[in-house]
Amino acid sequence: MRRIGLLLLISILLVACSETSDTKGNNDSNEITAWAWDPKFNIAALELAEKSYDGEEEVELKIIENAQDDIISKLNTGLGSGTMKGMPNIVLIEDYRAQSFLQSYPDVFYDLSDYLNAEDFADYKIEPTSLDGKMYGLPFDTGVTGLFIRTDILEEAGYTVEDFKDITWDEYIEMGKDIREKTGKHMLTLDFNDLGIIRVMAQSAGKWYLEEDGVTPDLANNEALKESFRIFKTLIDEDVAGIHTDWSQLLAGFNSGDVVSAVQGSWIIPSIKAEESQSGKWEVVPIPRLNLKESVSASNLGGSSFYVLNIDGKEKAAEFLKNTFGSNVEFYQDLMREVGAVGTFLPAAEGEAYQTEDAFFSGQKIYADLASWMEQVPPINYGIHTYSIEDILIVEMQNYFNGQDVDKVLESAQKQVESR
Amino acid sequence: MNHKRKSQTIGWVFVLISTVFITIFYFYPMFQALLLSFKSGMGNNLENVGFSNYKRLFGDPTFIAALKNTFIYLIFQVPIMIILALVFSVLLNDPKLRFKGFFRIAIFLPAVTSLVAYSVIFKNIFAQNGIINKFLIDISLISEPIQWLTNPILAKIVIIMAITWRWTGYNMIFYLSGLQNIDASIYEAARMDGANAFQIFTKITIPMLKPIILFTSITSTIGTLQIFDETMNITNGGPGNGTVSISQYIYNLSFKYTPDFGYAAAVSFVIVILIVLFSLIQFRVAGDRK
Amino acid sequence: MKVFKRAFTYIFLSVAAFFSIFPFFWMVVSSTNKSVDVTKGRLLPGSHLFENMKNLFETVNMGQALLNSAMIAIATTVLALIIASLAGYGFEIYRSRKKDILFNILLLSMMIPFAALMVPLYRMFGGISQTLPIIGIDTLAAALLPTITTAFLIFFFRQNTKMFAKELIEAGRIDGLSELGIFFKIFMPSMKTAYAAAAIITFMNSWNNYLWPLVVLQSPEKQTIPLLISNLGSSYSPDYGVSFLAIVIATIPTALVFFLMQRHFVAGMMGSVK
Repeated sequence: MRRIGLLLLISILLVACSETSDTKGNNDSNEITAWAWDPKFNIAALELAEKSYDGEEEVELKIIENAQDDIISKLNTGLGSGTMKGMPNIVLIEDYRAQSFLQSYPDVFYDLSDYLNAEDFADYKIEPTSLDGKMYGLPFDTGVTGLFIRTDILEEAGYTVEDFKDITWDEYIEMGKDIREKTGKHMLTLDFNDLGIIRVMAQSAGKWYLEEDGVTPDLANNEALKESFRIFKTLIDEDVAGIHTDWSQLLAGFNSGDVVSAVQGSWIIPSIKAEESQSGKWEVVPIPRLNLKESVSASNLGGSSFYVLNIDGKEKAAEFLKNTFGSNVEFYQDLMREVGAVGTFLPAAEGEAYQTEDAFFSGQKIYADLASWMEQVPPINYGIHTYSIEDILIVEMQNYFNGQDVDKVLESAQKQVESR
Repeated sequence: MNHKRKSQTIGWVFVLISTVFITIFYFYPMFQALLLSFKSGMGNNLENVGFSNYKRLFGDPTFIAALKNTFIYLIFQVPIMIILALVFSVLLNDPKLRFKGFFRIAIFLPAVTSLVAYSVIFKNIFAQNGIINKFLIDISLISEPIQWLTNPILAKIVIIMAITWRWTGYNMIFYLSGLQNIDASIYEAARMDGANAFQIFTKITIPMLKPIILFTSITSTIGTLQIFDETMNITNGGPGNGTVSISQYIYNLSFKYTPDFGYAAAVSFVIVILIVLFSLIQFRVAGDRK
Repeated sequence: MKVFKRAFTYIFLSVAAFFSIFPFFWMVVSSTNKSVDVTKGRLLPGSHLFENMKNLFETVNMGQALLNSAMIAIATTVLALIIASLAGYGFEIYRSRKKDILFNILLLSMMIPFAALMVPLYRMFGGISQTLPIIGIDTLAAALLPTITTAFLIFFFRQNTKMFAKELIEAGRIDGLSELGIFFKIFMPSMKTAYAAAAIITFMNSWNNYLWPLVVLQSPEKQTIPLLISNLGSSYSPDYGVSFLAIVIATIPTALVFFLMQRHFVAGMMGSVK
C-alpha cells in the first residue's frame, strides 16, 4: 500500500514539475513562432531568414518542426475548435491546400497585401495564396517540374539528352520503350495511390480538377485530364513505367540506377544527389508536354507558402516575412547557396548564385534553368477540393485500368463530386 | 441488511473516479460530436442540416466501400487472431517448454515495433520487386510478380496479415495472465482421468478463460472496426478504395480534405452503433449474465 | 508420439517467432545502413551505425523526447492501473443492477473513433488553459489526462475479478480488514499477473500514443517519441537510416517493460497465494 502511494505521488510530481520550468516564456513579446516541416529545406530557410533579418523591431523566431501531415491535423484541430491557443504566428501550408484553409476558417489568416508586392512572385503562385483579391500567403518555394534524366544510360541506349528536349509524352513513351528493350530499365515509376503526375500533366495545359472558379468540377470532357489518364495507362501498359507503392521505393528506383528518369518538382534534387556515385551522370530538361496545343513543357508539383495567423504578433510576423522572403534578393542568393532552395521571388533569379554550375548535374546551370521554366508554369486556381477529388480519381483510375472507357470513368467521377 | 447497504455504498466509491474521468474526457466530447453530426460545412462555417449527414452516408460510395472493407477485416481477422493467440498462450504456458521467455518476447515484439517501421517494411516486403515476389519467382512458383498491393483482394489479405501479425502477441498477453488463474490441480485431475491435450484445451482452458476471451473478442472487434493505422500506412486505402477503412475515412474527412467535421462525426456514430450491436451479440453468445 | 508432438510445438513456435522477429530484424539492420541502402532493401548489417547515431543526436533532441515519453508513460501506467482496477473490482464485487447499467454506459466510451473527439476535446482544453494553465494546452498533463481512465482497462479488470477467488474476500472481512484494505492487501497482490499484463499494455499504448499528444503538445521541448519519429520521416529527402535508428531506440523501453513484467507469467506460480 505504501509502495503504491509512493508511486502515485512520484508520478504526479513528475508531470507537475515538468511544467514549472517554462510557464512564463510566452509573455516575451519579441517571440514569434513558426511551424514548418523539413529541417534541410524550409526549416533551414527560416533559420537563415532569422539570421538575415535586419528590420527595426527585434524578432526572436521560434521554429517548431512538425511533419506536414501533422501540421494539417494540428491546424484543423486547433482552428476547428475555435481556440487560437497554441497556434503559431507563421505556418507553412502546401499550395494545393491553401484555399481549403483560407475559406474554411475566415478571419483566421492575416492579410499580407500591404506587406508584399504580387508582381515580385511567380505568376502561378499568386492565385492559390490569395482570396477575394487579398494576398494571404507569401509565396515561398517552387515545385517547378523537370525531367531529371540519366545521361549515361541514354548514351548506352543510343540517345542523347537533346532527344528528350521539347518532346511530347508520346515521344517520351516511344523512346522509353526502346530504352527498356535495350537496357531492361524502366523510364520512371508511378504510384496508383498518388496522382501527382496527373496534376503535373493537367497543369502543363492550364487545366485542373476544377474550373477557373475553383468550385465547379471539371472532370468529364476535360481533354487535358483525359490525355493525362491515357498517358498514365500507356506508360504502365507499355511497361515504360514501373510501379512503386512507397516513397522509399521511388527513391530506391533512381538511386539504385534501375530507373532512368524522374518527373518531379525541384525539391527532389537532394534525394537524387543522395547517391553520390551517380555524380556527373544526371541532367535536367523541361518535362514532356501533352499532345494539346495549350500544353507547355513546364508545370508544378507541390510547393508551399507562408501564412500569418491573425493573433498577437501578426504585424511583427508579417514584417519579418516582408523583410526577408518578401524583398531581400541577397537573402535568396544565400538561400540558394546554403540550402539549395529555389524560391519564387522573381528578382532573385537575377542574382549570381542562380548561375552556379552543378557538377552533379554534369555542370548544368540547373537553378537558372529551373527559374526560367518557373515563369512559364500556367497559373491555376487549385480551389478547395484537390485531395478529395483526387481520391475519387484514384478509384476511377482503377476502373479505367480494369477496362472501362476513359470518358465513362471521368463522367462517373464528375457525378460523384457533384453529388456532394 | 445493513452490511449489504454499506458495501453497496463503498462499491460506488470504487467506481467514482473512473466515472468522473470518463464523463469529462469521453462523454462530454462525444456529446459535442453528436451535436456536430447534425451540422455541415467547411471548417468553421457550419450550419444546421438536421439528418442530412446521415442520409448522405447511404449514397456515398467511399463510405460504402469503407464499410464493406471494415466488415471483411472483422469477419476474417478477429477469429484468426483470437484462435492463434489462444494457441500460443497455451503452448507458452507449458511449464516443461524450454526457451519460453524467448518465444514470448518474440511473439510479442510486433506489438512494440513502431508503426512507421513496420509499414515501411510491409510495403517493401510486398512490393512488386519485394522479397516475397523474388522468393516465389526464385523457387519457380510464379513467373510474373504478384501485385500484392495493387490488387484489391490481395491488398486486403496483406492488411489482414498485417493486423494479425501486429496484434496476436498483444492478445496473447491477456490469455497468459488469465491462464495463471487456473489452478494447476484442475489440469492434474483431468490428466488422471485420461483427457488428451485437445480435450483439456476445449473442456477446461476455454471455459475457464471465458471472461478473458469475451474481453479480447470485444476489444478486438472494437479495434478492428476502428482500424486506421494499417490501412493508412501500408496501402493508404488503395488500390482505389480497395482497403480504405471507416476510421481512415473519418480522418480524411476531418484532416486530409477540406474539413467537414459534421459529416465526419456522423460517420463516427455509425461506427458506434455497429460496435454496440456487435458487443451485444458477443455478450449474448458468451452468456455473460449469470 | 510424445516426442513428435514436442517437435511439432517447437517447429510451430519457431516459425511464428521467425515471422514475428523478421521485420524487427530488418529494422535493426536498417539502422546500421546508409539511407540509400535502406531504400534498396539491404538485409545485411552495414557500417553506418555511428554515422547515423551522430546525425540523429546532432539533429534532434532524442534525450528530451525519451524523458517526456517516459514521464507520460510511467505516470499514465501507475494512475491508470489503480483507477481502473478499483473500478473493475467495484463493478464485479459490489455488483448491482444500477452499477451494471453504469458499466455498460462506460463501455460506450470505447466505441467512438478518437479522431471524432479531437476537436471538442481541444476546445475543452483551450478553456481549461484560461483557468488552470498547468493542465492546459501544451502541458504533459494535458497529454495524459484523457488516457488515464479507459473503459478498456476497467473492462479488463472486471473480467479478471470474475476469475478471482471470492472466498478470499470473506476471509479478509472476518479478519477485520476494511473494504479498501481487502482490495489493496488481498486483491492486488493475488492479481499480479493481471496487473503485469495491464502494465505492459498501458505502458505500450501510452508510449506509442500519437494523435492526441500531437495536437495538444506544441513546444519542441514537450515533444514525445512518436512525434519525433514522425518528424524524422517528414522531409522531402528523409534519411531512412537515421529514422530506423530512432525507431530502434524508441522500441527498447517497451520491450524492456515487457521483459521485466513477463516474469509474472510463469506457469504454476499461483499456488503460493491461494
